Amino acid sequence: MDQQLQNGSEFELDLGWMEKQGEWGTHAEPSKNGLTLADIQVGSYGDAPVESRNLSGRPRGAISRPGSMPIGNYTVRTKSEIWLENASFLYEEALQRQWSSATDIPWDTIEPLPDDIEQAQCQMATFLTEVEFVAGDVPSRWVSQMSPDFYEARNVLMAQVMDEARHMDVFRKRALANGGGLMRATGATSGFVGGIDLARDFTEMSSRLHLSGEGAVLTIFRMGELMAYNDAEKAIYRLCAQDEARHVAFGVMHMRYMAANAPERREEIESYLDEAESGMLTDAANPAGQLNQTSESLSIMLGGGGKYFDEGFRKLVSIRKRQLQEYQKRVTSAGFGDRFKNGRSRLGQMLENVAN
Amino acid sequence: MATAKDADRVRPALTLSKEELEVEVPEPRLNWMNQWREWGVRVKPGKKGLTLGSLNVGLYGEIPMNWPDRSRNPRGAIGVTGTPPVAIQIKDKVDLWAPCAADLYEEAIQRRWAPATDVDWTAIHPLPDDVERAICQVCTEICQYAIIDVELITSWQHQMAYGYHEVKQFLATTSLDATRRHEAFRKRALVNGGGLGYEGPCQVSRLLLESRGGWTETVTGLTLVRGLFTQVMIRYLTRFAYNGVERKIYECVTQDLARLLTYGIEHIKYALAHAPDKQGSVITTLAIGFRMFNRDLRDPVLREALAIIFGGGIAGARSEGMHVFYEMLDEYVEELLGACQYLRLPVAMEQLPTVFQKDKRQLPGE
Repeated sequence: MDQQLQNGSEFELDLGWMEKQGEWGTHAEPSKNGLTLADIQVGSYGDAPVESRNLSGRPRGAISRPGSMPIGNYTVRTKSEIWLENASFLYEEALQRQWSSATDIPWDTIEPLPDDIEQAQCQMATFLTEVEFVAGDVPSRWVSQMSPDFYEARNVLMAQVMDEARHMDVFRKRALANGGGLMRATGATSGFVGGIDLARDFTEMSSRLHLSGEGAVLTIFRMGELMAYNDAEKAIYRLCAQDEARHVAFGVMHMRYMAANAPERREEIESYLDEAESGMLTDAANPAGQLNQTSESLSIMLGGGGKYFDEGFRKLVSIRKRQLQEYQKRVTSAGFGDRFKNGRSRLGQMLENVAN
Repeated sequence: MATAKDADRVRPALTLSKEELEVEVPEPRLNWMNQWREWGVRVKPGKKGLTLGSLNVGLYGEIPMNWPDRSRNPRGAIGVTGTPPVAIQIKDKVDLWAPCAADLYEEAIQRRWAPATDVDWTAIHPLPDDVERAICQVCTEICQYAIIDVELITSWQHQMAYGYHEVKQFLATTSLDATRRHEAFRKRALVNGGGLGYEGPCQVSRLLLESRGGWTETVTGLTLVRGLFTQVMIRYLTRFAYNGVERKIYECVTQDLARLLTYGIEHIKYALAHAPDKQGSVITTLAIGFRMFNRDLRDPVLREALAIIFGGGIAGARSEGMHVFYEMLDEYVEELLGACQYLRLPVAMEQLPTVFQKDKRQLPGE
């Protein structure tokens, strides 16, 4: 090769590709939060198509190659099926707020707890480990089916998959860090009709996972102060709540976009909400719901031990109410608040019977 | 916040309404209590904190060769029976395991970075038009690789049994890494007066997405064909980086890719050690992979763009730049053959397409 360099032999270049470029002359400028996804939405690069015809996985804005094969098996190719207006923000926030369960939790603050409380903590940790599996795997599966033209939304879901992996791991760590262990799984997420992982439509899945499922868990995490017995547990709930809030925000904002841009699907979405509401207290995936395995362990944690079970249960009832009220606010924010006024929602009735 | 000492006395206040205070409390069943397979576990944090791998003690560290349970039962918990099965396809340890997965998972988290803020985007300056076009073209193709990586990994992750959660968790980090890779290179393409370029050829991507038969075969293509080449290419791009922005991106991406390659190679090693009959399909996958890669390389776009970057412009690309490109290809082949040797795969230079063989490659002036 050196010899060729010396004898001056040169390669012929085609260079035809230099004329096949997307919009040229782009100067995205960093903002106060660095160079964010929002900052690179400049010119045509900021235009996500209403319908994606990208079947080969090219980055949005790149020039299509004639003859490229449709290797991307994308079933989600319509913007309204996946879009939300604040995806760039949620993604950047997710990257900034990544944390480590190994080093950001003060594990050395854990001290032995009374046996009934440790069992309750471990039962709840077992349950949360189990449900975090579904919250990671299901968005992951959907990402593989989404056109990369909607990469902002895909990115948020990928950050969620990472968050859920960490939640799964932090609750496993909690169960094994203080003289306890994992307890009995609940089967709360296993393949029933209408379950999160059986949904055949992304918005249906999102309404179950983000809006009602994770919404209910978010309320619990926000109440973490009431269930924590040391700084480690307090940190776990606080950090998980941050993550969960982003996931819930994804669901709310996606539904809001859908409501505004696909009015023909409104009734269908109302049906998803009907189903979600009917299962909010009875569904085993809500740790404050009626499954005794989780509701009793929460009552013990909230009360301060088995002998204060009654006090804990009353707090649990209060938390159930908060879950329903927060759900109502989210659905209203998503643009479906009419259902609480026109009699379609049974939420009012549920709030009255929350103790049952 | 209450402490362990006063757990039985004080809980933080939650103001309850009169109605809530009068709620009739059902008698607890408590049938879930004292239900465990192993109790009394007290894992302590080590110098790297409380890591995922350190949890593998006693029964919780028993990782069976087969995980027939198709529920989401966490490993070590008492399973629930009678629920409809989850669609899990990969149930054998040999089909996904790598002993380093838990460590790689923790490393990925410790080495997290954010393209928005960890790259000093103000350190970029205008480049000659041909060089900027070449960089933007390479960014476009790396973005496309990353997009396919995300789709590939996420299409497998949910099919893996929960008993091997270390691998599933590590893969969650790799798909976020690929997401970030796409993000970083897209940002680079749009920040310096350029834009995205021409879509890359798709034969290797096609191989990856169509290797539905087994995760080990998918990993073979992802690691030894696409991943290793990308890693070597980014190493060369680092050598020829034009500014601190590019250097920082390459440095961070190199770390991310190194973890993916480590998992991939260690998984193939584990698979071949425990199921020697997999060797045939791994070698066949590699052979097909080289053919697909060869087809992609016949396309001049990436080759010329890299040569322009390495040669400092079009003029330099015709001589030194293109030679550096082939030097890079030789380095890839050398590392590939080294990996095959480590894996005891009988792959020799002569079996590779001519473009990968330094001595048989036709160059100008020969």
